Amino acid sequence: MSIFKARVKEFEDIFSKDVIDLKELRQLTFNGVPDVQSFRALSWKLLLNYLGPKRNTWATTLAQKRALYRQFIVELVLPPGHNGDNENDDDELRGVALQDHPLSEGPESKWNTFFNDNEFLLQIDKDVRRLCPDISFFQQPTDYPCDIVVHSKGERRLHQRVVPSVLSSANVERKGLGMTKINLITKRSAENYEAMEEGQEAHWEVVQRILFLYAKLNPGQGYVQGMNEIVGPIYFVMASDPDLKFREHAEADCFFCFTALMGEIRDFFIKTLDDAEGGIKCMMAKLSNMLKSKDLAIYEHLRSQELHPQYYSFRWLTLLLSQEFPLPDVVRIWDSVFSDEQRFDFLIKICCSMILIQREAILENDFASNVKLLQNYPPIDINVVLTFAVSLT
Amino acid sequence: MAKKTYDLLFKLLLIGDSGVGKTCILFRFSDDAFTSTFISTIGIDFKIKTVELRGKKIKLQIWDTAGQERFHTITTSYYRGAMGIMLVYDITNEKSFENIVKWLRNIDEHANEDVEKMILGNKCDMSDKRVVNKERGEAIAREHGIRFMETSAKSNINIERAFCELAEAILDKTSGRESAENPERVVIDRKNNDKAPGYNKCCA
Repeated sequence: MSIFKARVKEFEDIFSKDVIDLKELRQLTFNGVPDVQSFRALSWKLLLNYLGPKRNTWATTLAQKRALYRQFIVELVLPPGHNGDNENDDDELRGVALQDHPLSEGPESKWNTFFNDNEFLLQIDKDVRRLCPDISFFQQPTDYPCDIVVHSKGERRLHQRVVPSVLSSANVERKGLGMTKINLITKRSAENYEAMEEGQEAHWEVVQRILFLYAKLNPGQGYVQGMNEIVGPIYFVMASDPDLKFREHAEADCFFCFTALMGEIRDFFIKTLDDAEGGIKCMMAKLSNMLKSKDLAIYEHLRSQELHPQYYSFRWLTLLLSQEFPLPDVVRIWDSVFSDEQRFDFLIKICCSMILIQREAILENDFASNVKLLQNYPPIDINVVLTFAVSLT
Repeated sequence: MAKKTYDLLFKLLLIGDSGVGKTCILFRFSDDAFTSTFISTIGIDFKIKTVELRGKKIKLQIWDTAGQERFHTITTSYYRGAMGIMLVYDITNEKSFENIVKWLRNIDEHANEDVEKMILGNKCDMSDKRVVNKERGEAIAREHGIRFMETSAKSNINIERAFCELAEAILDKTSGRESAENPERVVIDRKNNDKAPGYNKCCA
């Protein structure tokens, strides 16, 4: 039996048990999940605690969470005056309209909240349109659009709320001899991100909704740039699940997995916690200390060049390396990172390895070349990095 | 150690709201290319370009920063070392223009007093979406005694010129300080410079 087949068999075995042995699952996943069946998506759901180890609880958990997520959409995504069901809501609609209206400034006004939301929605909108531009996945239509959103003539699409509202006036240009030329310009900005047809939506629109809901439900934190890079790989894994019964619910499942992961790395995104334990500066210090203990020469070299760790490791750690490598490699890295019970010790080891692997070059380079090298990590077989990281004790 | 291949090293910084095109401006300048699909900058990014000004090889070390408030603690630590700061807004985004004042305050708080500043109104190719007219940009720049230009990273308008003018202003200051051979250079007639009729193309 080939090694690959053997690995698949191991995953088949572990997932066929009534109670999943998490310890065993961690060991297996740590070495990478084969890209077949639902293995990866399922492993991540378990390792991020979205699903419990008992198989017979999965159906109920999933049903409940997915229903809850739909409720979030109805309550938080749809504009005021909608309750999701298209029929028999006329009475309620009138009730809302009586007390509340778009010009109301009352703190209770749903419309007021609606307009405040648009502030951070604008930021999300900019970022989801910049998600993984090197692959076309996020611009493709999803096979499972959110039905209550996509059949609304655009009005429930979040990005429709933040389209720059320049009044389209005709550009009138006078040509010689009294001839008048009228230009009606309706140019779209990023062609790849054009609105989908009624009934369809692109993956980036789904990701936008996930981030919007997360920000709404976590108002103390809101949306911070970089969260798009965290949700991206999770969504990619869930939305390309070979098992269509799972793929259909990628959005809801991704939302809860993302929320669970954010629960662990939330502090990286909060400015006031930069210096706190678990904050990003603390993480950067851990990496720096590890580097110092593993290779004093390289540590001193970088220090003498005044190449501060935050020049490179701020992004590495905040985004769990998601901007440093191509998506398939990121997914592979996250297999290991999610399997690490002592999160995020292994992540720091990976980062340290990335520096140590480039040892010769770094010692040769001047400051500028080193910043470039570390900010644009050269192409590499990701297994080399991971194997190196494992060897660090 | 790499051999020193330049005469002077200038550290520049790009700041401004998220999405105004800082990374695109820098990419246009350093790689002479444009792409509308950039990932958002997290923390700080870095590029190098060497230009020639008045016979001197000047290495520009340019730091590109993340726009969102969260990253300010990380990014403001770079203000101190900067000799020139480009402050970018987006002519199709009113808010980004209004925030110029906020960014200027940031500079006052964190940068060296004699840092050279320049305001750029980017995306000037998108005339159909313009909401901030050029006069307003000029007015705010005049009010604060700062250079101003409208740019387009996409259509390659004024990008190289902006960097060269900023570098030249720094050079004027540096050479003024180093030697008194050309003292009148220290005082720049900004009005003339703005219109730049005989702009001499400095970057090859």
